[in-house]
Amino acid sequence: MRLSDVAKQLRKIVGRDAVLDRAEDLMLYEYDAGVARSTPGLVVFPQTTEHVSRIVKLAAEAQVSIVPRGAGTGLSGGSISRDRGMVLVFSRMNKILELDLPSLRAVVQPGVVNLDLSAAVNREGYYFAPDPASQRSCTIGGNVAENSGGPHTLAYGVTVNHVTGLEIVLSDGRIANVGGKALDPAGYDLTGFLVGSEGTLGIVTAITVKLTRVSEAVSTMLGIFDTVDDAANTVVALTAAGITPTALEMLDGWTLRTVEEATHAGYPLDSGAVLLIEVEGLRESIPEQEEAVRQVCKKQKAREVRVAKNEKERALLWAGRKNAFAAIGRISPSYYTQDGVVPRTMIPATLRHIDQLGKKYGIQVGNIFHAGDGNLHPIILYDLRDQEQTDRVHQLCHEILEWCVKVGGSITGEHGVGLEKQNMMGLMFTQEELEVMERLRVALNPSSVLNPQKILPTTLGCGEVRIARSKPAEAHA
Amino acid sequence: MSSATPAATITAELAAIVGESNALDQEAALKAAAIDGVLPAAVVSPGSAEEVAAVLRLANSRQWSVVSAGAFGDQSTGFPPERVDVVLNTRRLTGIEHYDPGDLTMGVAAGTRLSEIFQRLGEHRQMLPIDCAQAAGRTVGGVMAAASSGPLKHGFGGLREFCIGVKFVTGDGKLARGGGRVVKNVAGYDLMKLMIGSWGTLGVMVEANFKVFPKPRQTRTFILDFLLSGGAVQFRDRLMKSALPFLCADILSPRASEYVPGMQSQNWRLLLRAAGSDTVLARYRTELGHYIVGDFEGTDEERLWGAVSDFQETVLARHHNAMVMQVSVPPESLGAVIGSAERAGIENNFLPAVLGRCNIGSLLVALVPLAVDPPAAIQYVNAASAFRAGLTKDSSAIVMRCPREAKGHFNVWGDTPTDLGLMRTVKQALDPGGILDRGRFLL
Repeated sequence: MRLSDVAKQLRKIVGRDAVLDRAEDLMLYEYDAGVARSTPGLVVFPQTTEHVSRIVKLAAEAQVSIVPRGAGTGLSGGSISRDRGMVLVFSRMNKILELDLPSLRAVVQPGVVNLDLSAAVNREGYYFAPDPASQRSCTIGGNVAENSGGPHTLAYGVTVNHVTGLEIVLSDGRIANVGGKALDPAGYDLTGFLVGSEGTLGIVTAITVKLTRVSEAVSTMLGIFDTVDDAANTVVALTAAGITPTALEMLDGWTLRTVEEATHAGYPLDSGAVLLIEVEGLRESIPEQEEAVRQVCKKQKAREVRVAKNEKERALLWAGRKNAFAAIGRISPSYYTQDGVVPRTMIPATLRHIDQLGKKYGIQVGNIFHAGDGNLHPIILYDLRDQEQTDRVHQLCHEILEWCVKVGGSITGEHGVGLEKQNMMGLMFTQEELEVMERLRVALNPSSVLNPQKILPTTLGCGEVRIARSKPAEAHA
Repeated sequence: MSSATPAATITAELAAIVGESNALDQEAALKAAAIDGVLPAAVVSPGSAEEVAAVLRLANSRQWSVVSAGAFGDQSTGFPPERVDVVLNTRRLTGIEHYDPGDLTMGVAAGTRLSEIFQRLGEHRQMLPIDCAQAAGRTVGGVMAAASSGPLKHGFGGLREFCIGVKFVTGDGKLARGGGRVVKNVAGYDLMKLMIGSWGTLGVMVEANFKVFPKPRQTRTFILDFLLSGGAVQFRDRLMKSALPFLCADILSPRASEYVPGMQSQNWRLLLRAAGSDTVLARYRTELGHYIVGDFEGTDEERLWGAVSDFQETVLARHHNAMVMQVSVPPESLGAVIGSAERAGIENNFLPAVLGRCNIGSLLVALVPLAVDPPAAIQYVNAASAFRAGLTKDSSAIVMRCPREAKGHFNVWGDTPTDLGLMRTVKQALDPGGILDRGRFLL
């Protein structure tokens, strides 16, 4: 079927105004917040689960791939169509379907913006815990696809820890439910398995999430250090001392100066690194938690530990962290935010190694990251128009991730594999291990209509794919 | 038990992989490895992931049915198997593979007993919050397969919340792995979630990695009494709205208290465990107010929670013909569980005992036969259906234990909101020959 015919069919399903196929409209959907670009063939805006189901059936028949997309804030290319397929945008499926406060659950459509859900229950003292930096615009469907984290992941867990059920459209258009409002129902935990599968196993159309009680008291501290090493050692010492901050973020000297110029958050310009440390709990527990943090910081040669005195000071400290990427955008034509994880005991050595790699490649690298769970975000400055430099940046990234894996870590902590890192999966997994994952993908998505060419290496498992394609009808028997 | 392949042939072929001393078919060995009363044809104990893979490749090609086992702690859950050709024992897959106290992570082989892990973590004042029944004697593979949990599930979540990596072998002998060693990781499919609670039907686990936790410095457990269940449920509702965090929050019916030594009471009880300094604990005391009838700390507190964890075992030790169900409900449905257990008990001549994590909807319901005639199989069937019928949408009630004779007459796994077709697709992908745990699971 030609794309123009598919568009015609799509308009019959979702309405005339819910399909885009003009070049100038499609351009808007060729990128996400990462570095990859590719123009889709069509864009469609379903309004109901039934729409999604009919679209999937049509796509399977027409052999056009489908890439689900929320707000397009992803960083690994997960919502980019590589083969001029159809981008399925959830901006019109953005309703909160149910708030069940007595059970601490909400049921939402995938297009609901992360922070909007928290806002809807904030007055009653609840919120949705996963807090990616993009939470003002990113959608819960996107959070589910990528299993997103955020600064408070350290204490409250990533998205999968807050999802108890899903409604999902399978690759043959069938609508299925997994899980519900109860924890751990009988049978496999397909909810947990599907969260983070980046749209490659099914298209999520409704999500049951946990709501979390807002803590009674919170304290935000700023640990100021002369060197990156001291700050990094403090992260290790805090973890080892059994102190459990709800957030533990680090900015190195270069990054904090860049941020300070743009945001005036109060980070001292002459420091080597700062740690943003947050503790929560009952009012009575805050002074003792603050004191425990202060003691560890001092022992690790902190120059000073400041405590935000009020909500305004607290917001300002966080503003520096949350606006960091915008601040960097002011000074560099392009930047690449990497996402790797190392054991927390390896943070000091890892930061030294990244510093050396930056020097080796002659590239400026800043570090701002979720130190508390070892999730690094080296920010790499470059000029996309300079091909030679861009190549160097990719090499540098590869070496950083190779190091992460070598010391026992991961190539991605929260941004996802997408199309950015699929060919680095071999760093972490053997061919046989990847084949087992491929087998699951083929079982659930036999014709590869759903978000093809993502997560698993492009070179993998062609044989199995062919076998499965020859008998797709059995897949969901 | 009849088997398609003669036992001697099976044993000889397995011995070629693992050595003669690790492939047994003597009667004593088979009896020790019986699965819900069914003797296997052979017991094999591989010494490495590669040997597990070789055993499963062989079993798959021969269509032998395989049941994996560690401490045999939950092998009487599920339907009794029609036939077991091979019990794959993980007893040689033991040891702590890595432990980084500074990173709060640990990796262990599947056959490792939790006691070994607890001891090692204790040296660093750290803990793995798995406090299921008889936890110390269980193996890592066993608790993963059964998604075992206990009172600490309230504060730390279940295994799905802190298992960060898994290595397993698929039914056809492929080495698979999900996750890794770090606490945050989204590379590849989350195979940990598939393995946890899959009851050995998707693969044989060989290793698992965990996030571990610092032990709270000081904890105290407050006991609160209520004359009626309604009062306890109402207070529970208040707690769910309050800002007070707890490590454990359990409800105990008067009948259930008989199976928790030291807790016997005519009242409904809430057992609330909090952590913090004296100042913080004083705040709890003020807020919980006059409902408090006692509090525990130190070794008494540990003993109390150990007894709560062992509830199911204590019930079964006293009444071998009791039925115990593991119930998952939306938290609001606590009252429905209590009401339904009472009705199902009365109508079918059982005494209901309810215990469990009241704020997260993870409960245990024991139906103890009245001391007259032993119940007929049909009474278990009716009691389970009556109980399940009183639950709200999205709930499930798995019969963990009941007399074997009753199991043939009803679905011990019960309903689930999760799509069965999709579960079968996953099963087919990871165990294409259908050799693992054949006939015992809900699929």
